[in-house]
Amino acid sequence: MSDEEHHFESSESGASKTYPQQAGNIRKGGHIVIKNRPCKVVEVSTSKTGKHGHAKCHFVAIDIFTAKKLEDIVPSSHNCDVPHVNRVDYQLIDITEDGFVSLLTDSGGTKDDLKLPTDDALTAQMRSGFDEGKDVVVSVMSSMGEEQICAVKEVGGGK
Amino acid sequence: MRAIELACSYIQINSNPVAAEATILSLHQSPQPYKACRYILENSQVANARFQAAAAIREAAIREWSFLATDDKGGLINFCLGYVMQHANSSEGYVLSKVSSVAAQLMKRGWLEFTPAEKEVFFYQINQAILGSRGLDVQFIGVNFLESLVSEFSPSTSSAMGLPREFHENCRKSLEQNFLKTFYQWAQDAALSVTNKIIESHSSVPEVKVCNATLRLMHQILNWEFRYSKGGTRASINVFSDGIRPDNAFSRKTECVIVQPGASWCDVLLSSSHVGWLINLYSSVRQKFDLEGYWLDCPVAVSARKLIVQLCSLAGEISPSDNGQMQEQHLLLLLSGVLPWIDPPDVISKEIEEGRSGSEMIDGCRALLSIGTVTTPVVFDKLLRSLRPFGTLTLLSMLMGEVVKVLMANSTDEETWSYEARDILLDTWTTLLASMDGSGGNARLPPEGMHAAASLFSLIVESELKAMDERLGSYALIARAAVDATIPFLAKLFSDHVARLHQGRGTVDPTETLEEVYSLLLIIGHVLADEGEGETALVPDALQSHFVDVVEANNHPVVVLSSSIIKFAEQCLDAEMRSSIFSPRLMEAVIWFLARWSFTYLMLVEDCNLGSNQLQSLRSRACLFTFFNEHNQGKFVLDIIVRISLTSLMSYPGEKDLQELTCFQLLHALVRRRNICFHLLSLDSWRNLANAFANDKTLFLLNSVSQRSLAQTLVLSAYGMRSSDASNQYVKDLMAHMTSSLVDLSNNSDLKNLAQQPDIIMLVSCVLERLRGAASATEPRTQRAIYEMGLSVMNPVLRLLEVYKHESAVIYLLLKFVVDWVDGQLSYLEAHETAVVINFCMSLLQIYSSHNIGKISLSLSSTLLNEAKTEKYKDLRALLQLLSHLCSKDMVDFSSDSIETQSTNISQVVYFGLHIITPLITLELLKYPKLCFDYFSLISHMLEVYPETLAQLNNDAFSHVVTTVDFGLHQQDVDIVTMCLRALKALASYHYKEKNTGNSGLGSHAAGHTDPNGVFHEGILSRFLRTLLHFLLFEDYSTDLVSTAADALFPLILCEPNLYQGLGNELIEKQANPNFKTRLANALQVLTTSNQLSSSLDRLNYPRFRKNLNNFLVEVRGFLKTR
Repeated sequence: MSDEEHHFESSESGASKTYPQQAGNIRKGGHIVIKNRPCKVVEVSTSKTGKHGHAKCHFVAIDIFTAKKLEDIVPSSHNCDVPHVNRVDYQLIDITEDGFVSLLTDSGGTKDDLKLPTDDALTAQMRSGFDEGKDVVVSVMSSMGEEQICAVKEVGGGK
Repeated sequence: MRAIELACSYIQINSNPVAAEATILSLHQSPQPYKACRYILENSQVANARFQAAAAIREAAIREWSFLATDDKGGLINFCLGYVMQHANSSEGYVLSKVSSVAAQLMKRGWLEFTPAEKEVFFYQINQAILGSRGLDVQFIGVNFLESLVSEFSPSTSSAMGLPREFHENCRKSLEQNFLKTFYQWAQDAALSVTNKIIESHSSVPEVKVCNATLRLMHQILNWEFRYSKGGTRASINVFSDGIRPDNAFSRKTECVIVQPGASWCDVLLSSSHVGWLINLYSSVRQKFDLEGYWLDCPVAVSARKLIVQLCSLAGEISPSDNGQMQEQHLLLLLSGVLPWIDPPDVISKEIEEGRSGSEMIDGCRALLSIGTVTTPVVFDKLLRSLRPFGTLTLLSMLMGEVVKVLMANSTDEETWSYEARDILLDTWTTLLASMDGSGGNARLPPEGMHAAASLFSLIVESELKAMDERLGSYALIARAAVDATIPFLAKLFSDHVARLHQGRGTVDPTETLEEVYSLLLIIGHVLADEGEGETALVPDALQSHFVDVVEANNHPVVVLSSSIIKFAEQCLDAEMRSSIFSPRLMEAVIWFLARWSFTYLMLVEDCNLGSNQLQSLRSRACLFTFFNEHNQGKFVLDIIVRISLTSLMSYPGEKDLQELTCFQLLHALVRRRNICFHLLSLDSWRNLANAFANDKTLFLLNSVSQRSLAQTLVLSAYGMRSSDASNQYVKDLMAHMTSSLVDLSNNSDLKNLAQQPDIIMLVSCVLERLRGAASATEPRTQRAIYEMGLSVMNPVLRLLEVYKHESAVIYLLLKFVVDWVDGQLSYLEAHETAVVINFCMSLLQIYSSHNIGKISLSLSSTLLNEAKTEKYKDLRALLQLLSHLCSKDMVDFSSDSIETQSTNISQVVYFGLHIITPLITLELLKYPKLCFDYFSLISHMLEVYPETLAQLNNDAFSHVVTTVDFGLHQQDVDIVTMCLRALKALASYHYKEKNTGNSGLGSHAAGHTDPNGVFHEGILSRFLRTLLHFLLFEDYSTDLVSTAADALFPLILCEPNLYQGLGNELIEKQANPNFKTRLANALQVLTTSNQLSSSLDRLNYPRFRKNLNNFLVEVRGFLKTR
């Protein structure tokens, strides 16, 4: 039935940070760029403007880095920007005194440019896991040129 | 006394309230405060203090009632009554009503102890007072006292006394049978005694106050929930719940409550001149409205109107069996009284618009509603004929027409009198017409009534086209009452509007006309077809039975109307027309109409949609039925409909509602009908749709649910293929593209980076939604193709689960796809295939749990945190469903292998799965009702079918399961409690049976153990026995639960006989009343011995025990539960 084939070449090499997507297709839980910030959508409502006009989408979204709430209204057939959100897992190898962490990358190198997260529970979890000598894996979320540690998980291996 | 007075005044000025409260409280709680209170009541100058004293008497007396001497009891009541009568003219009304309500409560408290003679004495006083021999004020007080007495005895308004339910019930019964009617007569007499004064005087007189009170009392008495009049059928107490008033099946959605006192009330209400008197009274009050002290909404007028409306809804055994003549006369009398309120409608509405209060008119409408509820349309219509040249229906139509006109004239958003009147009148129509609808179809309104309905309908359509509201169903009912006129009317209106649209194209702003066409489509849809929700919609009877003289299909009004709409809809295929006329909103109406219409009319299979038999021979009906069938216009129309749907999917990007309507309602309705599937597959337009689905980018932009539904629809239509092979091939072709794209993606070496790109995420989501849609459409004919589809994406699914572990939306889709696929496939699979699927599910579970156990996520905002919780919850629910589906393999299995060759033990697998996900389920999560439901249905199923595996669980997992069952028992939801009870039954009976055969059963779990600190933990069965008994005896639950609870209780008792004995004794000890003690002991005895109950768990014993338990509960809950 189909002759056409899909190919999954990566079209970008860091050049495009966002991707256009029809507003009507962005769902709750998805991502969206509002006022040039990457956000997670927490509420979408479609409204009909005028009796015989086109539908519009009203987004309420939360900035994934700062947790600020942002809103936007877009006609549902128009395109919105959707940010690329990447999450990579690293193993924690060190926490420095000035609040930076040292992470082990897949390729064996280290990544030392990240600070401890501002969230206390998360930091405490990282510290205690690290102090007890467990293997701690952190997830780093990056989007539109920003990076932040967003989750932590102990794999065990404590002594 | 000083202290109390001071405290009261302190509270009022709010200085040092705590100390003041303490003082008053100490009075309330002090033993035997009666003397002090009497003193305060008689001597204090502070009204508040007297009020508090009365309250203190009540509280102390209720508390100490059983210690009081009989004289004191009577004395207190006498004192209260005497007090109110003496001070009848005092200005502090609230103190008086408090004291009289105290008297009423004490009276009730002692009701069952007082001898008839004692009661006689009390009531003699009251009667004297009411008859007016001691002055107006005393008369008023007497009526007032009766009012509080009646409300005290009515279960829904009684105040708590800490007494068994049985007590309240007995009081109520005694009052209803012996006193209520007498009270009503007293009220009548009292009212009669003051009527003349009121009628004769020209200004407000004090008698009015008494009259108002009596009217209120009568109203209240008629509001009583009469029970014992109906041959004692419902004389048992509802011991299981505190339910207020069970919804009367009669009252429907209307606010109209039917009054049904028994036959004995006939002499008071019907055959006496009661109604005549009341109407007389009101009409004379009515003439005084311009005098001082009277006005339309003055209390006495309002009460009188209320009573009149209430009398209108009198029904049941009260009217003697004389063919309803008595009732008709009664209603006629009332109607004649009500008539001046509403007739002539135009004058009345004009007066109201000029500033008169609308309440009288609205009460008039209510009276009509009440009359409509207790009569048939024919009787209803006939009523007015003796008074006017036209019937009641005509009046109703005129009245409503007037109201609609007023509504149209001032189209504000405010809720005005006309809104209320319109709603009540519409309810009246619905009540009248719906009763006719259910009676077999051929009943018709009298011609004049039909005419009235038709003219009203055209008026409604005219007014509502500007803005249709949610009452369309009711309007359609009116239209169907007079189809001869309304269908042609609608057809003409529609063609007029379409013509207007075309004329003004490009020059005039079409918005207004568009809106009118939109509304017209909706109302026509409602008139022509019923909502077929879940069942086959029939052509409405009214449309089948009318139009008898039509012989040619082309002239059948329904055909004409339908064809003109379809022709209009077809124009949306033209791009230019689309842009100028077919706005997305209008398209929604078109699609909605087509869906509703085609479900009822398109390609009817003969014999299937036949209505009532007597209609079959009608020629006109045959025309209507065959015109749109497969040999006639059917195929042509079907083609148009498919093309229109494709257009609405492709040419209206981003219009979510429109696309959902198209997918869910229209297309889905089409493929649900097998005979239509055959024709669909032969249509080019359907092939185009399938092609576009597989290849066209635009359809990838559809909303995800629409994609799923579209995939489901297309796969379902494969049924129309001639052979099973062809069907499978069709599905394969359809889905091949999606599966291969997933496989390609997962084989990509750069998957990890690639997968995170939004466009890929979106593509994956789309494909998964489509696969899920296809999976949920599994049917025997297409099962192979869909199995292979799932098989080919198994590995990709696992890989994607790994890659997208942070992308919860995708994870959810993955899980849901697997759930639906397993659900559809499992029962068809052979043993080796089952093994493959089960292994796949196990790895899925393992990967999922390895990502989610022990993870803490950062969330700066609580909203995101909640989001994350919701996502988790949805995932878990999907996993539970997956496990449940896996379980079902043991129950439903269509594979060719015999049972013995089953290579995999499902229970093992599911228990392993439970092990993996139980740590993720918390009691917090179980508060989500759906998750809760899924979890417990899985648990109860597991325990019922494989109790032995539970015993093998380790301690942590076991206690987790047990805690959740305990939690589930205390849920509100009946289903969940039932499932927990079933689980308990399974546990206990398994243990008991195992024990009897010498095995260990649940072993240490049941035996209880002593923990290292020396504290003894009792076994789980004992714990549950305790909980269950407490639940059954003291908590509120629905009667439906009793038999399930019995099934669980029985094995529990057998397992733990000693504990049961202990609990029973404890219970008996706790009863203070020796009478109750013996009753309880007997009941407990009977529970376990009667009905030849033996101590084995066989099929005979369960129903016996159920019966026993039911009797037991009816016997003891009456006094164990207090209020």
